[in-house]
Parts: sequence; C-alpha cells; structure tokens
Amino acid sequence: MKTGFVPEQDSTLMRTSPPDLRMLEQFLFHEARLIDEQRWEEWNDMYLEDAEYWVPATPGQPDPKNHVSLIYETGLLRAVRIKRYKHPNAFSLQPKPRSVHLVSNVILNSFDETTGECLVTSRFIMLQYRREKQELFAGTYTHRLIFKGNEFKIAAKRVDLLNCDAPLENILIYL
Amino acid sequence: MQKTGTAEEQKMSHYSNDQLAGFIKADCVHKKVYTDPEIFDLEMERIWGRAWIYVGHDSQVKQPGDYFATSIGRQPVVMTRHKDGKVYVLFNRCSHKGAQVVGDSCGNMQQLRCSYHGYVFDTDGTLLHIPREEGYRGAGFGKGNPESNMQQVARVESYHGLVFASLAQDGPDLKTWLSGAAVSIDNLVERSPEGRIEIAGGCFRYLHDSNWKMFVENLNDAMHPMVVHQSSSGTAKRVFDERLKENDPVPFELEMLAPFTNNYEFFEKMGLTAWNYGHSVTGGKFSIHSAYSPIPGYMDALIDKYGEQKAREILAVNRHNTVVYPSFTLKGAITSIRVVKPVAVDKTVIESWVFRQVGAPDELFQRSITYCNLINSHANLVGPDDYEAYHRLQHGLQIRDGNEWVSQHRYLGKDEVDEDGTKHSAGTSDMVFRHQFKTWKDYMVSTL
Repeated sequence: MKTGFVPEQDSTLMRTSPPDLRMLEQFLFHEARLIDEQRWEEWNDMYLEDAEYWVPATPGQPDPKNHVSLIYETGLLRAVRIKRYKHPNAFSLQPKPRSVHLVSNVILNSFDETTGECLVTSRFIMLQYRREKQELFAGTYTHRLIFKGNEFKIAAKRVDLLNCDAPLENILIYL
Repeated sequence: MQKTGTAEEQKMSHYSNDQLAGFIKADCVHKKVYTDPEIFDLEMERIWGRAWIYVGHDSQVKQPGDYFATSIGRQPVVMTRHKDGKVYVLFNRCSHKGAQVVGDSCGNMQQLRCSYHGYVFDTDGTLLHIPREEGYRGAGFGKGNPESNMQQVARVESYHGLVFASLAQDGPDLKTWLSGAAVSIDNLVERSPEGRIEIAGGCFRYLHDSNWKMFVENLNDAMHPMVVHQSSSGTAKRVFDERLKENDPVPFELEMLAPFTNNYEFFEKMGLTAWNYGHSVTGGKFSIHSAYSPIPGYMDALIDKYGEQKAREILAVNRHNTVVYPSFTLKGAITSIRVVKPVAVDKTVIESWVFRQVGAPDELFQRSITYCNLINSHANLVGPDDYEAYHRLQHGLQIRDGNEWVSQHRYLGKDEVDEDGTKHSAGTSDMVFRHQFKTWKDYMVSTL
C-alpha cells in the first residue's frame, strides 16, 4: 500500500452511507504504522494539504489561535518537520527516536450525509524510545475524515494528550 | 559581610566561602557549579532564597479570592488577591501540621481551608477558624497568634503587575535590583496601546534533565543558534522557498524561524549589555525579532495613545532576550516570558507564558502564541535541540578527563564598563556568562 488506506468497496466521489467501522479502524492503524515506520511522505499524503494537526497544551482547549499548543501545524510546517527528520544536524534526533502507537476504542461519532465527512474518535498509547529512555504518552485522537477521490483523507487531527499540561520532556515523533 | 545561612545550613555545607569563590575565575568556572547537588542546595538558599524571584503576574489574580499556586526555588507558595485589593504571597503550608493548603494550580476561594483538619485561613494568611477551638485554650496556638497564620514570604513587590518575592528580610528594593532590566519590562508594557498587559493563552511546562543555569546562559548565548537550530531554521527556509510563490505573503512562521540561522556577524553586531545583579540583554537596536512584518492597525493604535514619535521609539526598542537573573527571561516583541523552576541539580522546568497587550490587535497576541508554539514547546523543532545541548553539557561535565573547568574566554578583557557598572560587548561575547557567575559568586558568599 503506497498512499493512504484505500477502501475496497467504494470508489464513488461521495459517500452517502456511513463507512464500515472496520474500514475506519484499518485507516487509523495504517496511519499509526506509517508513523512507527517513519514513512513520513506517505503519512503526510494521508492528510489534505491544509489539514490541521493539532496537539493542545490544555485539556479541553477551545482553539489553537489564542492559546499555546504543543503542536499546531498545517501543510507547510509538516513539510518542514518531515524534511528535518532527515537533516544531518538535527541533534535531538541523534540517535533516532523510535515509537510504537497502539490505537483502540474507535468510535464513529458522526457522519454527514451531505458532505460524506466522518468524525472519528479513538484512544491511543504511544511509546517513544530514544537513548536509553522510554516514555509513555496516551490520550484521545479526533480525526475529521473526508472521502476524496476513492480514499479517505485526514482533514484535521486533534490529539488530546492525557497529561498535556504536565511538565514533559521532548515529544520527538508525531503522536 | 553578612553571615551566610543558618547554623544548620553552614554545618551541612562542606564548602567554605573561599572554596565557593574559588570555583569562579575571571575566564572560567568549575564544572561542579553545574553538577554538585550540594552546591545546588546552597544556590536554593543563597541565590533563590535572597534574590527577587518572579512569582506571577497580577492579572492571574484579578478578583479577591483568586489564587495562583507556584514556587520560589523549591518552596511552594501561593499568590492571592486579598479583599483589601493587595496581592499576597504565602508559603503554601498549614501552620498546624504542615500540609500544603492549596492543592491545585489556580482558582478562586474566599478562604483557604486545609484539607486535613479543616483549619481555615484568610487570603492574606490570617488564621480564621479552627474546629473545636477551645482545645487550644492557653496552649499558645490559635487566632491572633501571628505564628499560627499561613506565613507570608519576607518581601513582595510588583513592577507593572509582575509580582516578585524575596525570601530574605533585607536587600535592595525591586526597582533598584532590576536596574537596566526594568527598561525591558517598561517596553513590554508600553507595547500595549493601553499600557496594560495580562497573562493569557495558557502555559508550557518544559522539563529539562539539566542544570537551571544552562538555560539561563543559553538565552543570551548568540554563538549557538546557527549551529543548534540549523536543522529547523535552515530547513524552514528551504521548504518555504520551494513552496511559496512569488507574491505569497511571508508567513509568521518563516519570519520567526529564518533569523535563527543568520550569520555570525548579525549576532555579533546585535550586541550584549549586562547590569548589576546579574541581568543582561542581547540586542537593543535590532534583534532576530526586528524584521517581522507590521501588524495591521497596531501602529495606529500605538500612535493614538502615545503620539507618533513615542510610538516609534517604543517599537525601536529591539531587545532580544532579557535575562532577569536568576528566575526569568523576557521578550518584548514576542510579549512572553520564560520562568525558570529549578527542581534538582540536573532537573529544571521552564514555563512559557504569553502576555496579551491590552488594546492591541488580536493578531499581535496570536503571533506571540505562534512563536511560543514554534520555539518554546517541547514538541516543536527548536526547543528539543536546545534541550539536547543542555543534556550533552550535563553529561559531558561528568567526564573526568583532567579538565575541571568550563571556558568563558571569548572576548575576555574586551568589555566596555560604564561608571554605574553596566557592561557592553559584542553579541557573541562570553561577557554575559562571566557577569552571571560574578553575580553567582556574590550571592553565594553573601555580599549581595
């Protein structure tokens, strides 16, 4: 599979019925795998160019513009981060961090029949390992997915870390 | 020279004042100042227990009963707004058994009630109520006895709403102590068209596995950005070059990231100034923040308030990072501060807070938010590379290769010193480190 998860049964431009939950799960698992395998370009292809990737710094944070966020990126900044992963002098990435993401409790929260847009929530655990230190992060994903061409694209992803407001060390890999 | 610390503390310390002074030379410092837990303990008493330490901003406690729990060095304190309108800073300790009274970080309570035995204190610390108070009759504890109150810290003063506390009874007043750093705070506040700032937009709490002084030094270290931040700033320039079309507006993000890889000459010419009590600033006439695009409506709002000439003067103050030694650093153009919370000799939390310039366009505040996301968050592309530098320092200094000293030789002997003690140098000079450690020594052997 090269880009994004391609749903098998449907190639129409717009969905009119809610997608199968298993299909959504596979999509999220695929995203997690691309991160863990650091296949960054393929991962970024799962997103629309202007999609927001957002990690709030406060539980329940209402907006990314008037409040600090651990990460708030659209296409341009994602491209910078992805390119930097390969930079020979990105010292905080030497040695290279590794990760394992587990995604569970997937729920289709809403489906918009007119736009085909899905709001999917799930829980995750992410283990980050670098230089003899393993750290545990956990929280909730909220994906806004749209069906475009014959595949889902991520229109927005919000990551609510359980301890987003705690004193934390580096988060080096996408959550 | 006043005597240092308590008898107990003197007994605890293996270091005489002469030994401590000997760790600081004109051109280098002993590595133990970063690595020895005993020296860290002494710093908490003699620097963090004496200097004016930033506690919070009074906009965090606007209404009577508002409180903000924080720390001074390792001492948990709570800043409150009392019904007399004044801001108090109390040790967060019940006078009875010693439990911390306030358990969360902020909120509003008309009275502070201990969660253990229900002793109740007013927001200025006064003991108001003890359950079954008659049990204390004639016992020397209870209402009216100052020792039974939650204790106020020795001194509290504020400057433009920035609340400082000192745990020492004696010492210079805040304004004297701030010396030239006060101008940075003046400028931060003047950048508001109403002359008023307030904390807004949350906070980062970035945990570091390194000594607090490494962060404080780094904020005026103009030799590191082009090396440490090459991978983020350099990559940002390339990606934006590739992707932006000719007439696209330059995004905030590029304006912020690009100057980190300006050349050495830029940082050299940015200049460095240091004042009494360890404070310092990089920049002044220009800095890495001075080429940002103007924010629509902002200049007009400043002119309305101050007139054109004064408005231009305000924005011409292009200080980069001001270090208010030892407890925080400040950026005027980014309207934010980073507060230093030493935890252990090799553990430090850096909190980033943003100020809203009351009366300024929202875009100014949002630009500061974006800057903090990009530079100060622990999940961004800039902070972790600074963290990495501090980590490698903390670990490299454990190496016993026969060199016990940390170099501070750059531009040695080239400082220009004014009559009042203010020092000037090239932006890339080690002058600021020599200056900080001269202050460190003065605190540690009790001449400050």
